[in-house]
Amino acid sequence: MRALIVDDELHAREELESLLLETGAFSIAGRCGNAVEAIQAIRKQRPDVVFLDIQMPAISGFELLSMLDDDELPAIVFVTAHDAFALRAFEERALDYLLKPVSRERLAKTVERLRKLPGAEARPGYPRAEIRRIPCLAARAIKLVDVPEVEFVRSSEAGVYVVTAKAELFTELTLKVLEERAGLVRCHKQFLVNADQVDEISIDEGLAVIRTRSGKDVPVSRRHLPAVKARLDL
Amino acid sequence: MKLALQLIEALSVFLVIFYLYCRSPAFRPLKPDWPRPRGKIRLYLVFSGIAILGNYLGVPVVGGQAIVNARAVGSTLAGLLGGPALGMLVGATAGLHRVTAMSGAAAFPGAVSTTLEGLLGGLVHVALKRRPERLMTPRVAFATTLVGEILHMVIVRYLTQAPPEQAIAIVKAIAGPMVIANPIGAALFMAVLLERQREQDRVAATSSARALKVADRTLRLLVRGIGRDTAGELAAIIKEETGVGAVGVTDTERVLGWAGMGSDHHLPGNPIASPYTRQSIAENAVVFADGVRQAYDCTVSPSCQLSSMVIAPLQVDGSVVGTVQLFEPRGRRFLNMNKSLGEGLGAVLSSQLLIARYQEQKSLLVMSELKLAQAQVNPHFLFNALNTIIAILRRDGDRARDLLIHLSNFFRKNLKRSSDVSTLREELEHVGAYLEIEKARFEGRIAVETDVDPELLSLEMPAFTLQPLVENAFKHGLSDMLGEGRATIRAFRKDGAALIEVEDNGGAWKEQPREKAGLGMQIVDKRVKNLFGEAFGLTVTCVPQELTRVTVCLPGKGAAA
Repeated sequence: MRALIVDDELHAREELESLLLETGAFSIAGRCGNAVEAIQAIRKQRPDVVFLDIQMPAISGFELLSMLDDDELPAIVFVTAHDAFALRAFEERALDYLLKPVSRERLAKTVERLRKLPGAEARPGYPRAEIRRIPCLAARAIKLVDVPEVEFVRSSEAGVYVVTAKAELFTELTLKVLEERAGLVRCHKQFLVNADQVDEISIDEGLAVIRTRSGKDVPVSRRHLPAVKARLDL
Repeated sequence: MKLALQLIEALSVFLVIFYLYCRSPAFRPLKPDWPRPRGKIRLYLVFSGIAILGNYLGVPVVGGQAIVNARAVGSTLAGLLGGPALGMLVGATAGLHRVTAMSGAAAFPGAVSTTLEGLLGGLVHVALKRRPERLMTPRVAFATTLVGEILHMVIVRYLTQAPPEQAIAIVKAIAGPMVIANPIGAALFMAVLLERQREQDRVAATSSARALKVADRTLRLLVRGIGRDTAGELAAIIKEETGVGAVGVTDTERVLGWAGMGSDHHLPGNPIASPYTRQSIAENAVVFADGVRQAYDCTVSPSCQLSSMVIAPLQVDGSVVGTVQLFEPRGRRFLNMNKSLGEGLGAVLSSQLLIARYQEQKSLLVMSELKLAQAQVNPHFLFNALNTIIAILRRDGDRARDLLIHLSNFFRKNLKRSSDVSTLREELEHVGAYLEIEKARFEGRIAVETDVDPELLSLEMPAFTLQPLVENAFKHGLSDMLGEGRATIRAFRKDGAALIEVEDNGGAWKEQPREKAGLGMQIVDKRVKNLFGEAFGLTVTCVPQELTRVTVCLPGKGAAA
């Protein structure tokens, strides 16, 4: 199995890597120090299982889960130092959870569970939390954009961009995830709009355009117009 | 003239009666703005009585056809004090009495004019209602009655059902005495009333001034709660301020303190002997024995001089915790004032005890907060530390060993008593052990700098001042940063004070839930203030996303190396 290790502490990653390799059941697909790196790695590496720390800077393990599409979601094993998180981990229907420091015997049980796991298609979907902050890449830093500040989101061949009154930032999240979990409205195949940021909507010969509060135009496709109208109470 | 004198004589009798009434316990202050119906009824009864008495004490003239009388004094005063309605009612009542009980040609006109005089008084009342200090004066009473009596004479002259000569004769006979004597009488009544009222205000003022003085002196004492050490002093203060014969303080079982007479046998530590005290405790009520109808009978010593007393329960949160008792010896009247003072003292002292209880609980709370904070050093930290050490053990046994020693040092120092004072050197050692572990945990992500003026190493502060601040910087600032974290610990002198700063570049102070993260900080602040005073303590500066700086200000004096 190809495993991805996500933990913000260097030594914790090293220790887990050693333990995983000792079992002989895993190869290491990658190591990530934070959630944003993890999203990229999950997309790129398509690991079978992610060993996920819960307390991490800026975006927690739980938040990370909600930022992933169901079909790109691998099996999740939470790894945490604190009992209190364990209960919540089960609510999130993680496959398993491990307490740090991890013992070999306990890890062996996890391996068994992973082996018994049905294929990815048969795995039940996780009910996931609402996204309140969208992790974006700005220059070289990671910026968390609060959802209410978002005017719209557009996708192009270059990727998905979050547009606020002041900036346009690249994000790893997909339009589908943002539509489902951030409460943004689909108005076009390639656009989502924040209903609270709509200033006006003009309809001309069946072609509609939304103007946002800061004066940017967002196209509305014929197909999505009824849904947009319903959402804006028109 | 003789008649005028006779009338004044009659009025004097009345004044004596009125004066006695004013001195009696039945007296309540008569106020013009009396709001309640009960007060009005009282005014009505008192002044109707005066007016009717005026009929009886009058002097018949002109063959019994008329009576030189002082009835008008009652109705005018009633009007002045109680308004037009009351004035007319009193006038009508007395007038009715005049007509029915005594006869004479001038009876009916007299009744009408007495009623109108009541109305006149009432109109003056309405006119001056907003300025009672001008309404309640002998001068106003005099003037109103004077006008009223002149009116009275006019009415008698024209309404008397008799030949005009007889009516004129009646007026001639009664006008002089009544117009002269009755205004003087009314003015005297008002003077007596005012005097009595002033006296009562004075008593109330002295009584509350005394209670306040006692309260002022006992507050410092009762902050420590009530016990053997404080009760004696408390009793002495109350005795000194009230001047009563003796003062006792008890809890629910024993005498705690005693001052004044009988201190030879009312000894602190003795069990409560008096049934009155037991009654006060059992019923949570003030018990009074005036020494006449009910006497205090000392059960301890037959030679005890004390004979009257008031016992007030001391209570906290509704349950009785003791009593405060005021005594007077035989032959000294127990002043009414001291009775109400006793009651008031019970209430004041009870609320002071409540404050003491509250403060005690508050400091207990601080202690438990601290214990909690210590106990919670926190499982998350411990497990992560162990996990880090286990990982390092694979590659670097020596470093793992060092880290374990740091960990045990850290926990050993945590065991130090929280009430201790420690030096900056000790605090830095404590923090140093913590930092070594956290640096290993966040290897490559966090850098810590220390810049301490070596002269300040012996600076004293409450134990556990520095560690919570550093821990806070890690927990809520550094460990939550995606980029590189930097922390700086500084100690330096500035403007005569010694400052210790813990700074991180997370700038997350505003974003964290205050009450939770702030608790550790609040405790540090409280403890520094407890030790050094309000001028010292903790301040937080935060530039969001840039830095959080926590500064502890300590006295700089006496910290020289």
